[in-house]
Amino acid sequence: MNGETQRLLLLLKVRGQIFVNSLRRPNRRVELVVQGVGAISAGVFVLVLAAGVFAGTLTALRNSQPWVLGLLLWAIFLVWQFATLLIEGYSPGINFREIARYPVSFGGYYLLNCVYGLADPAAAAGALWLLCMWIAVLVQTPQWAPAAAGALIVFVVFNIFCNRLLAGLLERFQSTRQGRERLAVVLLLIMLAPQLIQFAGLNWRHSPGALPGRSALLRFAALNDLSPPGATLQAIVGSGNTRLFAVLLLLGFLTIAGLMLRIQSRTVYLGELRGDEQRARRDLRVSPGWKVPALDETISAMFEKEFRYLRQNTRLLVQIVYPMIIFALFFSGRSPIHRIFPSARGSSAGLLGMMAGFLVLSIANICYNNFGLDRDGFGRWMLAPVKMQKVLLAKNIAHAAPFLAMYTLICGLLLAVARVSPLQAATVTVSFLTVILVQVGAGNLFSVYWPKPIDLTRMGSRTVSAAAGYAALLVIAPVGIIGGLIAMAAIYLSLPWLPLVAATVIFCVVFRLYFVALDRAALYIDHHLEEIEQVLSK
Amino acid sequence: MAEPVIETKALRRTFGNFTAVDDLNLVVERRQFYGFLGPNGAGKSTTIKMLTGLLRSSSGSIRILGRDLETDRVEVKRRIGVVPEGLALFERLTGAQLLNFCGRMYGLDRTIAAQRTTELLEFMDLADSSEKLVADYSHGMKKKMALAAAVIHGPEILFLDEPFEGVDVIASTTLKRLLQRFISRGGTVFLTSHVLEVVERLCSHIGIIQNGRLVAAGSLDELRAGVRIAGHDHSPLTLEEIFLQVVGGARQSEEVLSWL
Repeated sequence: MNGETQRLLLLLKVRGQIFVNSLRRPNRRVELVVQGVGAISAGVFVLVLAAGVFAGTLTALRNSQPWVLGLLLWAIFLVWQFATLLIEGYSPGINFREIARYPVSFGGYYLLNCVYGLADPAAAAGALWLLCMWIAVLVQTPQWAPAAAGALIVFVVFNIFCNRLLAGLLERFQSTRQGRERLAVVLLLIMLAPQLIQFAGLNWRHSPGALPGRSALLRFAALNDLSPPGATLQAIVGSGNTRLFAVLLLLGFLTIAGLMLRIQSRTVYLGELRGDEQRARRDLRVSPGWKVPALDETISAMFEKEFRYLRQNTRLLVQIVYPMIIFALFFSGRSPIHRIFPSARGSSAGLLGMMAGFLVLSIANICYNNFGLDRDGFGRWMLAPVKMQKVLLAKNIAHAAPFLAMYTLICGLLLAVARVSPLQAATVTVSFLTVILVQVGAGNLFSVYWPKPIDLTRMGSRTVSAAAGYAALLVIAPVGIIGGLIAMAAIYLSLPWLPLVAATVIFCVVFRLYFVALDRAALYIDHHLEEIEQVLSK
Repeated sequence: MAEPVIETKALRRTFGNFTAVDDLNLVVERRQFYGFLGPNGAGKSTTIKMLTGLLRSSSGSIRILGRDLETDRVEVKRRIGVVPEGLALFERLTGAQLLNFCGRMYGLDRTIAAQRTTELLEFMDLADSSEKLVADYSHGMKKKMALAAAVIHGPEILFLDEPFEGVDVIASTTLKRLLQRFISRGGTVFLTSHVLEVVERLCSHIGIIQNGRLVAAGSLDELRAGVRIAGHDHSPLTLEEIFLQVVGGARQSEEVLSWL
C-alpha cells in the first residue's frame, strides 16, 4: 500500500472516529437513538429513491420521454451539491484545510480532496442513483448503454469536482466567525423557505397563472441543453452532431470544474490564511450608552446589552421576524388559514388572537435560556453589584420588548383597517400580556434549571435545552386549557365580557407569581452558581 | 498594624469528598501587592472565587474592606474589581460597548462611563479595536479588556486570577504599568500567578497555598528568612527556590522521555 492510499484510509478512519466521538457526550442517549433512527430512515429513503430512479428511467424510455432523464439528472445534481451544504453545516466533519499542514505533495492533496468527496453520504447516494439510471438504460435501450456509461462517469466526476469546490467554499466561510454565523443564517433560511413557500403557495395552486417566475422557468428550460445535466442527457439520448456537441460541452464543464478545484486547492495548499478583517484606525469617540425611559441607569445598561445581543444574533432575528412574515401573508389573504378556517377572513379578532398566540410561543426561543448567549460572560453578572432579580428583570424586559412592539403593530393595524371591536382587542391584549408574563417567568426558572450555551456558529446548536422544551408543555398546556374553558364559558353563558374580566384577574395573579418565580430563580443561581457557570462555559 | 482589607478566618470549601480549601486564614492590608501562589490544583482559583463572591464557602468567614461578604455582598462588589479565571466577558459586545456597560453596572453615570471607556481603551492600546467584537480579540487583548473592566469604576481592591497567563511582553508591560499605578494611588492587589519572576518583581507580600492550606505567608524577605536550603550559597534565594522548597519540587527520572 503506498503512502497516498494509506493517508486516504487514515483520513476516512479519522472521519469515522470524529463522528463516533460526537456521540460520546453524556446524557445523549436520546439523541443517539434519534440519530440512529434517522440514519436508518435516510438509508431506506435513498434505496427507495434508487428504485424510483430505475423505474422512472425505464418508464420514460419505454414511453419515449427521455426528457424525464433530464429532470432526474438535475435532481441528482442538486441533491449531490446542496445536501452536502446541509450535512457539512451540521456534522462535525474534517476541515480539509488542515490536511495541507501534513507532509503531502500537492498532487496527493488534490487526489485526497477528490476521493474524499466520494465519502460524502450525498455523493454515495448520487452515485447509486446514477448507477440505477444506467442499469435502466441498459435494460430498456442497450444501444445507448456505452454512451450512457461514459457520459454518466464524466457526470459523476464533474459532481465530485463541484462538490469539493463547494466544500472548499464552506470551509473558507467557516474559517471566520462572521462567515460561520452567516452560513448558519443561510442554512436556517434554506430550512424555513419550504414552510414560507407552502404558506404563500397554496393560493398559487388555485391560480397557477399567478406563479411568479413561471415564464423565467420556461426560458430556463430552453437553455437546459447547455447545462451540465442537460449536456449529459444529450450525450446519452442525442445523435450525430447533437451528441458530439453535448460530449464536448460536458468535457468542457469537467475541465473548467477540475481547473477551478485545482486553483482552489493550490491556494489552500500554499497556506492561504483568512481572518476577520481589521478596521482602519480612526479617532476614538465612545458615545454614552442608552437611557431607556422609565428604566433606571443599571436596567437601561442591561437592556442595551441584551438588545445589542439580540440585534447581532441574525439567527434569532430571523426567528423573531418570522411571525411578522406569517402575519403579512395572513393579512394579505395569501395564507391557507382562510381555507382551513373560512371564518378567519371575516374575523380579524381571530387573526389577532392567532398572532398573539404565535408571538407568545416564539418568545420561548429567547426567554427559556436567558443566559445561553452570555456563555462565559455569565460570571460578569455575578461580579456586578446588582441583585440577580434585577438582572433577570432587565433580560425579561429586553426580550419581551420586540414581541410587545410587534403585537402593538399588529393590533394597531387590525384596529385601524379591520373590524376588531375594542372589547375583543382588549381581551386579546390582556391575555397576550398574561401569557408573555407566564412565559418569561417560567423562562427564568428554565434558564437556571437547564442552562445551555448557544453557539451561533453551529446550525445544530439548539437555543433552549431539550428539558426546557419539554417543561414548556407543562406551562403551555394549562394556559391553553384555562383559555379554552373561559372562551367556552363565555359562549355558553353568552357573556362576551367574561374573557376580559377573567384575563384581568389572571393577569394580577400571574404578576404576583412572576416575582415569586424571580426570587426563586435568583436563589437557585446563588446555590448553583458554579454548576451553571460550568455548563455555560462549555 | 493597619486594618486588613482582606481577611478570612477558617475558610473552607469542599466539593463532595474533596476539600479544595481548608482552614485558610489570610490577612492582606491596604496598599499591599499580594501574590497568591501554589501548584496546579492547590486551591488558588477556588480561594479567589470565594473572596469575590463567585463561589460560596462551605464554612468560615470572609471580610472585605471591613464588611462581611456574606451579608454585605452587593456593597463589597461595588468596591472591588475582579479579573476572574475565565475572564467572564460578554464577547458579543464591542470593546467600547463592553467597558461602557461594565462602568454603568457599577453605577457610573453614562457620560463618565463613556469618558473612562475612552481613556482606558487608549491606555490599553485597544483604541484601534474598540469597535471590534470582543469575540474577535486575541487572548492578550481579552486580558487587557478584562483588567480595564475591573478598574473602570475605581475599585479599592483588585482581585486578579492569572492576569499574565498567555499574555505577550507588550500586553504584560501595559498590565504591570496599570497595576503599579493602582498601588501607588492607595489600592490593594491580590493576584494569583504561575509566573514567579513577575510575582517576585511586583509583589510586596506573598502567600503560598498547597493542598488547600496556606503553607507560607509574608514579605519576600520574611519568606527568605524562613526557608533554609542545604548547600545553598549566601546569595539571596529566588522566589522560585523558595516556592520549590515550600511545596516540594518534582524530581524527574533520567529514564523518562529517554528518546527525546
